[in-house]
Amino acid sequence: MYGGGYIYEEPNQRAGMPAATQEDPEMLAAFEARIARGEKIEPRDWMPTLYRKQLIRMIEQHAHSEIMGALPEGTWITRAPGFKRKLALIAKVQDEIGHGQLLYNAAETLGKSREAMINDLISGKAKYSNVFNYPAVTWADVTVIGFLIDAAAIVNQVANSKGSYGPYCRALERICFEESFHLKQGHDAFIDLATGTPLQRRMLQEALNRWWQPIIHFFGPPDKDSQHTEKLMQWKVKMASNDDMRNQFLDQYVPKIWELGLTLPDPELRKDSASGKWLFGDPDWDLFHKVINGQGPCNQERLRVRQWAEFQGRWVREALMQPTEQWTAPAA
Amino acid sequence: MNEQSLDPRINRLQLGEAGPLTIAEGENWNTYEVFHQEKRGAHHEHVGCVRAPGPELALVFAKEQFARRKKCVNLWVVRSADILAFDIADEDMFENNADKTYRDASGFKVMEKINKFKKGGIK
Amino acid sequence: MQTLSPALRQLIIAMGDDALILGHRNSEWTGLGPVMEEDIAFSSMAQDKIGHAWALYRVLHEHGGPDPDAFAFLRLAEKYTCCHLVEQPIGEYDFSLMRHFLFDHAEALRYEALADSSFVPLQQLARKIKGELKYHTLHANAWIIQLAQAGEEGKARMQAALEETLPLALGIFEPLAQEAELIASGVYCGEAALQQRWWESLQPILAKAGLALPATGDLEPAYGGRSGWHTQYLAPLLDEMGAVFRLDPEATW
Repeated sequence: MYGGGYIYEEPNQRAGMPAATQEDPEMLAAFEARIARGEKIEPRDWMPTLYRKQLIRMIEQHAHSEIMGALPEGTWITRAPGFKRKLALIAKVQDEIGHGQLLYNAAETLGKSREAMINDLISGKAKYSNVFNYPAVTWADVTVIGFLIDAAAIVNQVANSKGSYGPYCRALERICFEESFHLKQGHDAFIDLATGTPLQRRMLQEALNRWWQPIIHFFGPPDKDSQHTEKLMQWKVKMASNDDMRNQFLDQYVPKIWELGLTLPDPELRKDSASGKWLFGDPDWDLFHKVINGQGPCNQERLRVRQWAEFQGRWVREALMQPTEQWTAPAA
Repeated sequence: MNEQSLDPRINRLQLGEAGPLTIAEGENWNTYEVFHQEKRGAHHEHVGCVRAPGPELALVFAKEQFARRKKCVNLWVVRSADILAFDIADEDMFENNADKTYRDASGFKVMEKINKFKKGGIK
Repeated sequence: MQTLSPALRQLIIAMGDDALILGHRNSEWTGLGPVMEEDIAFSSMAQDKIGHAWALYRVLHEHGGPDPDAFAFLRLAEKYTCCHLVEQPIGEYDFSLMRHFLFDHAEALRYEALADSSFVPLQQLARKIKGELKYHTLHANAWIIQLAQAGEEGKARMQAALEETLPLALGIFEPLAQEAELIASGVYCGEAALQQRWWESLQPILAKAGLALPATGDLEPAYGGRSGWHTQYLAPLLDEMGAVFRLDPEATW
């Protein structure tokens, strides 16, 4: 579901990161020339330490977001109304797990094992997308997630799929294909509520009000607050700025919400005709940072559920472990 | 965590307090590469990998992860450890030498000769 | 439109309810499976089951029965005729896998018998889902055999799960009140014959797994589901399943 547009960095890790200039200048030049030519980087290529680190961080956060994103929607599987919605929701949550699987594999090609990534997730060390730390209160929340969060994710993932790292691009290609189907399904459920009974419309409006701020947060803080993006954009790790992606999302989807007579809880939201940019009220970036640091409404529950799943599955995994076998990273 | 979740599924899990939990290396088993054949007559193409405790379950897993949406008539799985590849630094071995045009259709300029013949005949 | 005999209706509802409730239960694992690859596989099979229920309720609908969604989501518990096996909570993965193994072997044989049914809609459905069920039993066999052979804990868990699940699984074959009529008209072979085939099909796999199968005579089959008697687990499941749908059954969701 969620792409890696906003890469969370521990502030204290920034200082410890090797500067790109400390790398072998000749290797670095060849690496940068390859990217400038539009070629992909493959797992066993030489790459700067910072590139590898940032990619692991980005792909890992993306993978975690997929399997944590399966939780708020997954809890509605047992309540989905009607066969069509029930089957579509199970298939969608299943796809999110499938995306997690593809992404963990892609991250593993860079040298961090799936187990190490899962350990960082369940210990609370690793980050994942903030939106999944909010509750899905009613069925309408699931449709808002299915339509708008998936739409936001597509904006992000389509951009990233043109990045420089081969395995990530290949995973994203398949993910984007499946996401386009999710978006359709989400839009369909959204429209059923929007054009339905007064009760359904009210549910939907309330859910929109709840989710609007997390959606604005989704692409990360404003560009002026982000550091290190220049190098990452040159290396095609980050493919579009937070503000640009947010603007693209608003441009594509706000009209689709307004045309249904629904409102968004931000009186300042409008498109500036001169600049073509969307303007919006302050989305409370302090809250964003609080949630990403574990103090959102559902952080604890999400983490506990993930720990429960890992704990429940442990005997199954251990029973079939082959302790003598050497683990091999995916080939590509 | 004692508060009730909004989600009945979560309440049913009876989460309780978590003890420390660390996943051991190798607990997600080993890596198998997956090759997917879209239709009869097509090549098996590499599409990704699965983690599995052995080849049999690797195949079972590969079917759902790589063939549940995409059309498929057959799959291969093979341990990633058994894949042998050239070193990436040896990429230059594959560079085609400019004067090996005899390997290339452009090295044979048949039409030029035919056209010349049609214009002027044999001299 | 041809209406269905009560006997045929009873068979279709029993099959549909079993598939719906077990599919629903198995989908509770979606997102929480022991390893991502298995999560995906198990989830697919849950979808297949719910799809089978939908197909069966559509057969009812096409023969003058109610709307499939309303039929699935609005009935009272005593109107469901699923067996007790499928109602049980998901428990731990050993229980869920063993239930899947025992149920899907029964399912595969049931549809195999229906592939020659005199009732054309069931015959067509049986042919359509043959491949799905083949995968389900392949998946189940691989897991049961491997876990039962994977050291002490695996073996002990699978043996315990088998013993816990078997009496419940015999409830799949609770005789239907009017099945003699279905046998006579060539709809299918009847529950007793299916149970016999099922019991035989389990033997080689359990033998390979090294699991001991108790004698059927020692087991008390969990009957009652086919006549609407259920365990305490079904009513809450149905409350939850219909929670949104019941907000407005006339609405399009």
